[in-house]
Amino acid sequence: MKPGTRWTLLLAGALALTAGCNNGGSPPPAGDGASTTPGTAATGDTGGKKRTIGFSQVTVAEPWRAVFNDQLKAEAAKHDEVTLIMQDANDSTETQVQQMEGFISQKVDAILVSPKESAGLTDVVAKAYEARIPVIVLDRNVEGDDYTCFIGADNVEIGREAGKYAVQLLGGTGKAKGNYVEVWGGFGTKPSADRSQGFHEVVDKEPGMKLVGKKMDCDWKSEKAQIYMQGVLKLNPQIDLVYGHNDPMALGARAAAAEVGRAEKIKFLGIDALPKEGVKAVKDGELAATFLYPTPGAEGLRQALKVLTGESVEKKITLPTATITKENADEYSQ
Amino acid sequence: VEPVRTQGPLAAKPRPLLLNASLAVVRQLGGLAALVLIGIVVSPHDTRGGNIFMSDSNLFDILARVSNVGLLAVGMTLVVLTAGIDLSVGSVLSLGTVVAAMLLLERGWNPASILAAPCLALGAGLAAAALAGRAAAGGGRTAAARAGTLAFIIAAPLAGFGFASLLATGLPVPVILLAVMSVGLVVGCVNGLLVAYGGLQPFIATLSTMIGVWGLAWLVTGENNARRRIASDAAYAGFNWLGSRVGGVIPVPGLVLIAIVIAVHLIIRYTSVGRRLYAIGGSEEATRLSGVPVDRTKVLVYGCSGLLAALAGTLWAAQYHQGYPDAGLTKELDAIAAVVIGGTSLMGGRGGVTGTLTGVLMFGVLSNILQLKEFTTSWQRFATGGIIALAVLIQQGQVQALVKRYLVTLRGDKGR
Repeated sequence: MKPGTRWTLLLAGALALTAGCNNGGSPPPAGDGASTTPGTAATGDTGGKKRTIGFSQVTVAEPWRAVFNDQLKAEAAKHDEVTLIMQDANDSTETQVQQMEGFISQKVDAILVSPKESAGLTDVVAKAYEARIPVIVLDRNVEGDDYTCFIGADNVEIGREAGKYAVQLLGGTGKAKGNYVEVWGGFGTKPSADRSQGFHEVVDKEPGMKLVGKKMDCDWKSEKAQIYMQGVLKLNPQIDLVYGHNDPMALGARAAAAEVGRAEKIKFLGIDALPKEGVKAVKDGELAATFLYPTPGAEGLRQALKVLTGESVEKKITLPTATITKENADEYSQ
Repeated sequence: VEPVRTQGPLAAKPRPLLLNASLAVVRQLGGLAALVLIGIVVSPHDTRGGNIFMSDSNLFDILARVSNVGLLAVGMTLVVLTAGIDLSVGSVLSLGTVVAAMLLLERGWNPASILAAPCLALGAGLAAAALAGRAAAGGGRTAAARAGTLAFIIAAPLAGFGFASLLATGLPVPVILLAVMSVGLVVGCVNGLLVAYGGLQPFIATLSTMIGVWGLAWLVTGENNARRRIASDAAYAGFNWLGSRVGGVIPVPGLVLIAIVIAVHLIIRYTSVGRRLYAIGGSEEATRLSGVPVDRTKVLVYGCSGLLAALAGTLWAAQYHQGYPDAGLTKELDAIAAVVIGGTSLMGGRGGVTGTLTGVLMFGVLSNILQLKEFTTSWQRFATGGIIALAVLIQQGQVQALVKRYLVTLRGDKGR
């Protein structure tokens, strides 16, 4: 028998076994019932038993992802029994699917995945889930319900917090007055749409606040935001506030304002609050505030270990944001 | 200065010299003038009724925006004149931003300084050798070679150790600038060696360095920390000045571009080395047979292109406050487009850098107009594609020929 065929049969067996107990409303934590995937058999003991956990990260080439990885590694170091296999999907759905399939055939104890996109990863996440490997989906969710747990932040809520702060900066609820610019991340990306929606939910109630500058895709990049803002500044002599969908873009917009000596007349708000980026900029007085977009890695690992010890976990966990200004910036510098 | 056309529809009758010259000017500046005119007409006005397009700050903004691609295009022009092409300039720009940012932000040995040290030593050695060789040229070839070798042996280690000793305390901005340009020079020379001595097609040689150097830029930053942000801290004021505006108005990168264009223009028009480029592009074999060191000239030309690309990278890092290994992505194509619009033939031997500057400015004006009218990026790309095709059609006289043929047909029809 060729090895490939054997795997297929094994997988088919696992699927057949799980199919029976998988149509209930509450998906079972891996380990109860079938023992076809030995690694996931829950025994209830945390100590002693080795845990191999696979993690597929969509890309490492973004500072936020780097912090995400660092915080996950730091959490893993706290648990002696955990061996973490970290893989970088190089921003490719295809690579990420292959990595997930690798984890399934290696029979790791649990999988953490931060998907490139929803549609492309849904099937392979479901495949792992049906193979009774707990799958914790991080940051961007997949479609359907075939995963153990999703952990992410609520970008609409972050947008609302930013909106509230903007209103406060420009005079307070009902009295806020001024022209503001919104620097868009990526058109057609959910974080951008959500961050915009939440912001406008709050700000659009203020008759005194006026949006200036046409909606333009700045692709989350500071240099594009800088070029965009150069144009907006020329067309609008009065600008009071800039809301950037992330910190680098807010800082790029600020650089454009600084070129023409207008940086001090404008308040800049950003999102993400990475220690060396947004938080530092708040401390330096370049940003008026930044809003924490928390990384889900550490919490993901904790949830995976909970599942493996037989505890039940929430299907969806939303990590809270925080408003970071000069007063509390020091707390977020690490 | 424009070589006389020997073929094409406009070559039929010899014309008075003055008319010819003015036609050349119209051809070179006509497109730019037309775009500026459009800019003035469609420009929005500020609250006091001023034309925003024509405001000083906007015009200087255009210059600042095009300075990076402009420098790439100047280097590209040199290469294209020899009937070559340099696809690696965008990647070298990226590498330049990264090395510059890291040399500025970090002390001691790191991938950037490890890369820059030998490049600087090599660059300084080559420069010293060239100068010494020239000084001793009166004494014959062997004397020149001996002086050059000696100068290299002295200068290269001196520069390398000098660089290394400054690493611990932080590099002065001029040293950073020279080090980054040396990195570009070395990459460019690799291109030149591959083309001249390796016998590779310029397209293939520079395609491989384009991909390789892009990877190198990512390796140097370390993939986990790709963007190096240069904060507006006082400690970096000297470097940030490179991207700033003199008196809040005139952009430093724009001044650098204009200075380089003037220098390169004078060199390629009025020195023997410069004239070699046209000769090589015109007919490489004939040039070789007439005793010109074709291979060495090619290495020099690709080296210059790399050096200018790295300079562009340094200025980019100062302008956009970061080192970023994707900074120059697809910029080589913008540079090639500007060269072609500027009237330099991709077949080599014809054109010059003033035309290239015109081409670069056309792009700058066009994207500025679209920005002032708040068109989105997709529209800007779409329009830029159209403008390239149209500009080159007019440039090569195709449109004029079509119109002429149409008129002739009309006349013919009437006659019948």
